[in-house]
Amino acid sequence: MNSGRNGARLRPRGQTHTGQTREGSSAQRRFSSRSSVLAATLVALTGCSSIKAPVPKDPDALAEYQQANDAYEPLNRKVYNLTMTFDKWALRPLAKAYVWSVPRPVRNSLGNMITTMNEPSVFFNDVGAGKPRRAGDSFVRWCINMSVGIGGLIDVAKMAGYPHHDNDAGLTLANWGIPSGPYLFLPMGPSSFRDGIGYGIDQGLSPWNYVPRGYGLISFNWAYNMMGVVHGRSTHLDELDALQRDALDPYATIRSAYQQQRKAQAEAIKNDNRATVPDWY
Amino acid sequence: MKFLSSRRLVTGALALICAGSLSVLPAYAATGTRQFIETFGTKLVAIVNSPISLPEKKTRVLPLIQQDVDIDAIGRYCLGRYWKLATPEQQKQYLELFHEVLVNAITDKLGDYRGVSFTIGSISKSGDDDAVEATLVRPQQPPASMQWIVGYASGGPKVVDVIGEGASLRLTQRQDYSSYIARNGGSVDALLSALKRQIAHHSDAAAN
Repeated sequence: MNSGRNGARLRPRGQTHTGQTREGSSAQRRFSSRSSVLAATLVALTGCSSIKAPVPKDPDALAEYQQANDAYEPLNRKVYNLTMTFDKWALRPLAKAYVWSVPRPVRNSLGNMITTMNEPSVFFNDVGAGKPRRAGDSFVRWCINMSVGIGGLIDVAKMAGYPHHDNDAGLTLANWGIPSGPYLFLPMGPSSFRDGIGYGIDQGLSPWNYVPRGYGLISFNWAYNMMGVVHGRSTHLDELDALQRDALDPYATIRSAYQQQRKAQAEAIKNDNRATVPDWY
Repeated sequence: MKFLSSRRLVTGALALICAGSLSVLPAYAATGTRQFIETFGTKLVAIVNSPISLPEKKTRVLPLIQQDVDIDAIGRYCLGRYWKLATPEQQKQYLELFHEVLVNAITDKLGDYRGVSFTIGSISKSGDDDAVEATLVRPQQPPASMQWIVGYASGGPKVVDVIGEGASLRLTQRQDYSSYIARNGGSVDALLSALKRQIAHHSDAAAN
């Protein structure tokens, strides 16, 4: 879904103006169905009232509370702290080691592969959002990159004029007019009720989760998911370091940036009304 | 009769002027905004691309930021509802600290780039302000698109916000600050001392 491990989709404030289109973001943080079970447990947990933040009485404070849209803040902060501890001692060192040991061209190729392998899920979501041009682009990307691009290692489609665009079920639901619901911080990163459900849908849309047992493909799928997480984290090393250094309350900064970016992404998809016929037609 | 017609003439002329200025004003503001961002961006890029040392870049960029960025307005916005709750003394101290924090944040970025260029796209209205689409082109990196928000509240055009990947810098900052204050018992002083620590940290890092 949206959430990359530790907010891979996020650009720390200091860096937002240098922001670039992140490629393959949703692909890089698929973490197989195990974490969606975890997510579902968390969503179920949020039913308890003890983990809800008290609603303020003061009108100004109430406005702020509503803007933050974070009714489950106490729980979210706990998950955030756990995730950040895991990140500090395991994922970040791993990502640093990966950057140190694997040369950039190889990392780029792996990134391309992860992006391409997520293309089916992007395609189904483009169809779901009713955007034929975008669906066509992701379909062509999948066909070109899986064949000429040697299983996605080379992004030939981009050279041919079909650059990657991101999409996930959370955004599709947003395009259907479904509100985000309260903010959630899941072990995979910042999310919301809608985007959390979208994450589960995306798992269902990914053909890699339907691989039959006993073909060595299961272990490939696991390796692919693990690598996706480490690779995704490695592309945000400096940004997340800067965020944790510069923000007074990194949790709130991530929350704010995530919510704004999701809104902008959904808006961008909604406004993409390009024709399906090529320019020369 | 003559009186009537002259009065009619005057009202007619007045109406015309009003209508004229109404239709001309946004167009004028838009071209003014474009020119402003073009000049500001060209100066900024010239400093970034020049082969001088990093400390020199920082000293050269300082007057540009102070002149073309409405730091006070951004600071007030970032303090959000606590601006009203702060004492005049706290407000003054906060703005001083905020100036330093913002200038540090901008100048820290200067060393990261070389050989950059930018193009300006369409201009649209964003509330009372103008939003300018701009694309930053850096060598060996995908182009970064962003929006510069230009406000006229201080008289002339000044940058009041930058939006990258859909996230507004000042809104994100505001939610950072207000969450920090709320978690420290609603005390503005807690924010002030945090900002002081941040600045001290920054100058320590710069000294080493």
